[in-house]
Amino acid sequence: MTDRRRNAFVLAIVVGLLIASLVIEFGFPGVTKAKKTTLGLDLKGGVELVYQGEPTAQSPVDSTSLSRAIDIIRQRVDAIGVSQPEIQTTGNNEIDVALPAVKDATTAEQQVGEVAQLYFYDWEPNVIGPTGTADPTNASVTGGLNGAGNPAYGVSLYKAVILASKRPEIKRKSDTTLGNGIDGIWYLVNEKTQTVLRGPDATQAALTGESPAPKGSTVIHIQPGTVIVQAETPNDQPDTKLNSYYVLNDDPALSGKDIKNPQQAFDNGAGGTGQPNVTFDFTSGGRKTFEAVTKRIAQRGAQTAVLGNGANQHFAIVLDNRLISVPSIDYTQYPEGIDAASGSEISGGFTITSAQTLAQLLQTGALPIGLKLISAEQVSATLGKQALNQGLVAGGVGFVVVAVFLLLFYRVLGMIAVTALLVYALYFYALIKMIPITLSLPGIAGLILTIGVAADANIVIFERVKEEFRGGSSIGRAIATGYKRGIAAIIDANVVTFMTAFILFVLATAEVKGFAFTLGIGTLVSLFTAVAATQAILGVMGRSRLIGTPSALGAKDRGRRWSYDFMGASKWFFSLSGTILLIGALAIAGHGLNFGIDFQSGTQIKTALTQPATENGIRQVMIASGVSDAQIQKVTSKALGKNAFQISTQKLLPANVPKIQAALQKRFGNTVNFSSTSIGPTFGATVAKQAIIAIIASLLVISVYIALRFEWKYAIPVLIALMHDLLITAGVYSLTGRQVTTSTVAALLTILGYSLYDTIIVFDRVRENVPRMPRAAFSQIVNRSMSEVLTRSMATTFCTLLPIASLLLFGGDTLKDFAFALLVGVASGAYSSIFIASPVLTHWKEREPAYARRRARIAAENGGVVPPYALTGSAAVEVDPTKGRRRRTGRLTTPDHPEQGISRAEFQELVQDLDVEESLTPKTGGVRASRTKRGGTPAPAPAPAVKRKPAPPPAADPRADATPEDVVMPDAPKPPAKPRTSKSKPRRGHGRPR
Amino acid sequence: MGMLAWVMMGLAIWHYAIFVPDRFWGGIVGAFVGAILGSIVVGMVIYAAKSGAIKIPGRHDTHLVTALYAVPGALGGLAAVYFEGIRRESVVED
Repeated sequence: MTDRRRNAFVLAIVVGLLIASLVIEFGFPGVTKAKKTTLGLDLKGGVELVYQGEPTAQSPVDSTSLSRAIDIIRQRVDAIGVSQPEIQTTGNNEIDVALPAVKDATTAEQQVGEVAQLYFYDWEPNVIGPTGTADPTNASVTGGLNGAGNPAYGVSLYKAVILASKRPEIKRKSDTTLGNGIDGIWYLVNEKTQTVLRGPDATQAALTGESPAPKGSTVIHIQPGTVIVQAETPNDQPDTKLNSYYVLNDDPALSGKDIKNPQQAFDNGAGGTGQPNVTFDFTSGGRKTFEAVTKRIAQRGAQTAVLGNGANQHFAIVLDNRLISVPSIDYTQYPEGIDAASGSEISGGFTITSAQTLAQLLQTGALPIGLKLISAEQVSATLGKQALNQGLVAGGVGFVVVAVFLLLFYRVLGMIAVTALLVYALYFYALIKMIPITLSLPGIAGLILTIGVAADANIVIFERVKEEFRGGSSIGRAIATGYKRGIAAIIDANVVTFMTAFILFVLATAEVKGFAFTLGIGTLVSLFTAVAATQAILGVMGRSRLIGTPSALGAKDRGRRWSYDFMGASKWFFSLSGTILLIGALAIAGHGLNFGIDFQSGTQIKTALTQPATENGIRQVMIASGVSDAQIQKVTSKALGKNAFQISTQKLLPANVPKIQAALQKRFGNTVNFSSTSIGPTFGATVAKQAIIAIIASLLVISVYIALRFEWKYAIPVLIALMHDLLITAGVYSLTGRQVTTSTVAALLTILGYSLYDTIIVFDRVRENVPRMPRAAFSQIVNRSMSEVLTRSMATTFCTLLPIASLLLFGGDTLKDFAFALLVGVASGAYSSIFIASPVLTHWKEREPAYARRRARIAAENGGVVPPYALTGSAAVEVDPTKGRRRRTGRLTTPDHPEQGISRAEFQELVQDLDVEESLTPKTGGVRASRTKRGGTPAPAPAPAVKRKPAPPPAADPRADATPEDVVMPDAPKPPAKPRTSKSKPRRGHGRPR
Repeated sequence: MGMLAWVMMGLAIWHYAIFVPDRFWGGIVGAFVGAILGSIVVGMVIYAAKSGAIKIPGRHDTHLVTALYAVPGALGGLAAVYFEGIRRESVVED
């Protein structure tokens, strides 16, 4: 395929995709509607709950039980009418439930996380008295005729735990606390204060695993066969927190599996109270069991009546270890038990809502596993909208500043790059709608960052194009060569960014996943638009006068020539880095890092209050609610108004946030735009563990990739430079006291990928120059490479810092966190690429015998000093590695662009084609001692060197001290081909004239 | 947190190794390994001697002085790698 056809084909694809993107984004009248953008909870408000699965006697925590639990949760969420919920497993045993637009976190928690394990117990024979055995006829134990299940007859939880712990193990088929590795239940008590500190938990590890047992506490184990249930809540005190419990033989007669069709109804039958209740039918097995059990209870009632010890006996309904109802069975009315053909009912103490909730829970069935709430986040819709606006403004400003920079720096090329950026933005927006990608705040950050990544790819190529043009190529040829030579570095850099994004996506928490996904997708899309699309546009424009002048390329002048001795000065840059790290180490040890609640558990609440409040007033409410460590801060924002506060505490766990909200409402009126993030210790530990794994995995993957693409010795300096960047960022965080959050970790991982961009650009040029300078010292090769690419590195870094600065200035709190880490990391990454990675590589490579010999020879030639640049003597020998590699397909008879004439390079090719090279160039066997390299920037002016001797003539064999790996490396230009012999026929193509 | 401080201190000290003639075993990378390993090992040894337990100090157990525990280790590590380098050079020369 000819270039023209290829360009036309690529442009057709670009335009086709653009039209498709516009249709997805804005719809097509009469054909299709615009697709909606799916916004995350942080942008539209809602509740996000993260649960950790815990085994039950009925089921272990595995993929099957998690999947079943998700199905049940989905049904429950559907039942409460939440649209577009996102329910997914995260990690090994966690379930993430995102409920958009839900305002009431308490109800959501009740609906979603309630296990809803329903059991029916024959009451009297199972209630355990103070002696540790059942005492069916003792009314003070069972509650008698009218007090069964009543709080007045129960004991405190501590007493119940102690009583139950003294019971022997009794294994039954129906046992609810035995199986799947569960052997009874566990509590943590303080015997001095006679209080229960933690529990019940299914295992001892669950009880004390998260945080060690406090001093003076005792672990209590209740063996299988005994359960503790909370007393029935009185009808007139539905919100009372009871400390009244009963100890029961764990011998349920029926379970929730034996019932069907639960419905909320009203007790409107004969003698009914008209109160809300829950009716249900029995399964066939359940019906028989129910009839048999009620018959047994009725008969026992008849017997006790004869003995004069009371009359009616009871049947207890227990939901998640709480007595819901303890109805009596009238033995006179049902001497043969209750006929269950028409079902039964649970009544007593229900409101319509609570009855509906119970009915819904029973409809969906019990969760197969226990769910422990480890993280809860509630975002108000107003704050979400504000965050979205801030993100969009930051994105818009970021785009504009990058566009202005490109236009100023690259003129017409910049215009093409901006067009490509626009195309990229439209493609990406269409992908967000089409896949659909749930757009979150970190996702917006990823999107903004990819604007910089996309622009960087253009900068790398455009700088190369300018370099080729300044080196003597015609504009058309400079463009073709620029793309050809720049693509390897761009692909390497983008692959690394994509890999770190992938690792982040696999290992990170849900919030960071959004960032990783957009970064990964954005990197791929930007590679297409920034490279393929711009190349096709430029290819098509190649013959136009618009890019026919040097000023159109921004290459009117000869470009900045760096003549600095980078390697010679490296010791001063090392000292600078060492000093910064020293200060950082002392700061880390002295101050530590200010970890956010993501890592160490706790709660952060942001809310406006309708009644005037003070920080002290809120602190008192918190202390009254048992939270003594709260930090209260008044905040003022447009969305929250003036009477708004942020409350941070490490002691408040996710499950207790609703209680605090209720307490605030009671004292200060309604809570407006209530938002909270609450992380349990388990979740915090998981986040920290995942962050460490992600960083190590990224470092490993990057090392392997660099080793494969370059040489293994190139990977070590890269690792050292990355370590340098990460530790300097950590030091800056410690010094500034900024909070380290999951966003910071995501930013750190991005830094890992991104700081490689500059390193790869430098190393890529070193790789290219190694075979080109076969007699130069490695430090000279690196100095030359750095002088050639420094402008490019600075331009890419600056271009990336522009959108980051925009995030920092215009983004909300989350984006600012993110941007700060990126700002420090990217700046440090650019610095370390040039001043740390390259010197380390130089020092290491110069120990290799070949380079050591070269260095010794050059030093001997120059009075014991190695000049910073290989400009004189044998070191200045330069070969053209591409010579003889490319075979012409046609004869050079006319220039590429007749109107532009032919370039110097093309003239050289013409000379080679005519086999008259020897008569025009020195006889160096394909070697030129030259101040200008082929297709490159003119070599910099010599830096001052001490005691320089006159340069001896070039040696006869210029590759004498080059090792094979110096000359041939992956992607490096191949060594010169053998000179054409008289036997080999010259190719005489007759294609399109050049 | 203690480990982070020690590694940072080791890395900081390694940066100054560039002023020493490169006779390190393994060159500048060998010096890097020596400095980092030395800082970690000696940091742990000093901390163990002070606290009576072999463990890495956590967030609340790390103080300004803790970072300094790494200094002798980093210097010792660099010295060990340097003298090993000299020894190997002399063996090759012999």
